[in-house]
Amino acid sequence: MSRAISLSLFWRVCLINGSVLAAFTLVLALSPVTVSARPILSELVVLAAGLAVTVVVNGVLLRSVLRPLDRLTAVMSDVDLRQPGSRLVEVAGPARPLVAGFNDMVERLEAERTASTTRALHAQEAERQRIAQELHDEVGQSLTAVLLGLKQAVDLAPPEVAAELELVRETTRTSLEEVRRISQRLRPGVLTDLGLLTSLSSLASDLTARTGIVVDRAFVPGLPALTPEVELVVYRVAQEALTNVARHSGARSVELALSRRGDRLVLGVSDDGAGGARPGSGAGIQGMTERAQMVGGRLEVRSHQGRGTEVVLEVPLPEVTV
Amino acid sequence: MTARILLADDHALVRAGLRRILDAEPDLTVSAEAADGAEAVELARTVGPDLAVLDVSMPRMTGLQAAREIARRAPAVRILVLSMHDNEQYFFAALQAGACGYVLKSAADEDLVEACRAALRGESFLYAGAAGALVRDYLERLRRGEPIPRAVLTPREEQVVKLIAEGRTSREIAGALVISPKTVERHRANVLAKLGMRDRTELTRYAVRAGLIEP
Repeated sequence: MSRAISLSLFWRVCLINGSVLAAFTLVLALSPVTVSARPILSELVVLAAGLAVTVVVNGVLLRSVLRPLDRLTAVMSDVDLRQPGSRLVEVAGPARPLVAGFNDMVERLEAERTASTTRALHAQEAERQRIAQELHDEVGQSLTAVLLGLKQAVDLAPPEVAAELELVRETTRTSLEEVRRISQRLRPGVLTDLGLLTSLSSLASDLTARTGIVVDRAFVPGLPALTPEVELVVYRVAQEALTNVARHSGARSVELALSRRGDRLVLGVSDDGAGGARPGSGAGIQGMTERAQMVGGRLEVRSHQGRGTEVVLEVPLPEVTV
Repeated sequence: MTARILLADDHALVRAGLRRILDAEPDLTVSAEAADGAEAVELARTVGPDLAVLDVSMPRMTGLQAAREIARRAPAVRILVLSMHDNEQYFFAALQAGACGYVLKSAADEDLVEACRAALRGESFLYAGAAGALVRDYLERLRRGEPIPRAVLTPREEQVVKLIAEGRTSREIAGALVISPKTVERHRANVLAKLGMRDRTELTRYAVRAGLIEP
C-alpha cells in the first residue's frame, strides 16, 4: 500500500517548512553575510531579499501539496446526491488519503440515500395497499349493502318517503363511486389482477376518456415477465408521465410504447405538446427518477420547447434462469 | 318457470341485500349461496342453477377463477360477474373467463335484475362504462372509415346510441328521453345486437378484432 509511502499532509508541510527554514538558516550561518549589533540598511536589504526568496520557495513547494485541497473544495460544492457518480480523481502523494476518504464518504452517502429512498417508497406503497384494501373491503362493501337495502326501502315506502329515500340513494351511490376511485388510485387492482400490459392500456383509455387526448399504444409482443416490484415502477412512471401530459403539455396525442433493448425493458411516453419541461425539476420527475433507481433502472426526460416531451424509462430485465 | 340463481359474495350483508332484491322478483329466486369461489364452483356443479352471480373478489378462489371453473365443469350455467372495478379491462377479462355480463356494485341496485334477465335470455349485459367504451370505439371506427358493417338504426335507437356512448346509465337514458326503463332496456338490447355485441361470443369477437383485448 502506497499509503505508508505518502506521508500525512501535516508531516509533509512540516518537512517542507522545516527544510526551507533550515536552508535559510544554513545560508545565513555559512555565508559571508553578517548582521551587526545595530543593523545597517544594506544588511537589512539582504536579509529581506533572503526572506522573500525563502517565502516564495516555501510557497511553491507547499502549493503542489495543498492544491488538491482546493480542487476538493470545488468538487464538494458541486456534489449533488440526486445525480450519483461524482467523485474526485485518485491522486498520488499526500492528498491521496483525503481524496480516497472523500470518495468513500460520497459512496456511502449515495448508498444510504438510495436505501432510505427505497424504504420510503416501499413504505408508501405498502400503506397505500393497506388503505385501498380496507376501503374496498370494508367501506365499499358496507356502502353497497346500504345501497341495496335502500332499493328495498324505496320499493316498499309510501311516495313522500320514497322521494326522500331516492335522494339518500343517489348520495350513497356517489359515495361508493368516490370510494372506488380513491381505492383504484391508491392500489391499481388492474396491475396485480390483470398484468402490466392490460394496466397500461387501462391508463391509456382513462386518459382518453378524461381529456380526449388520443393515445397510440405500441407494445412489442413477447416481452418477458417482470418482478412485481419492477412492474409497479413501470406502472407508476407511466401513470405520472401520463398525468403530466394531461396537466401540462397541451398535447393532442401521445405515444405509449413498451419495448426491449438488449437486456433492458424500455417504456416511452412521448407527446406532441408544448414541451419545455426542465429535467430535475418538480417532485413528479424526482419521484420517477427515484423509483427507477430503486430497481436499478434509469429515467430520462427529453423536452424541448415547442417539440413535445419524451419520458424514457429503462429497467433491467430479470435474468433468465436456465 | 322461476329461474334458480346461485349467489356468491364474501360479504354477508351484501349477499343478503342482493338476495332480497332477487327474491322480490317473481321470475327469479336464489336457490344457493356461497361465500367464496371454491364453494361457488362446488354448488354450481351439485345444485345446477340456471345462473351464477359471482363477486369478483372473494377468498380462496376469485370470481374470475370460479367463472372459468364453472364454465368448464358446469357449462350450462350462465355467469354474471359483480365487481367494484369500473374498468373495461376487468369486463373483457370476465368475458374471456366465461361470463356473459358484468354489473358494477355501485349500480347493482338498478342493474342486477335486468342483467339476470338478459343473461337468462342468452344475451350479454354491459355496465354503462363498458357499453360506452365499446360504442365509442364502434363510432370511432365508423368515423375513420374502417370496413365494419354499418348498423341500420331507427331514429330512437340513434338517440340511445349517442347516450350510451356518453356512458349514461339506463335510468339516465330513461330520464333524458322520457321513456320507461323497460323501454330503454329493449332499445339497448336491440342496439347492441345491431352493433354485433349481442352476446358473449359476439362481444369477444368484436373486442379481439378491435384490439381492445390485450393478447
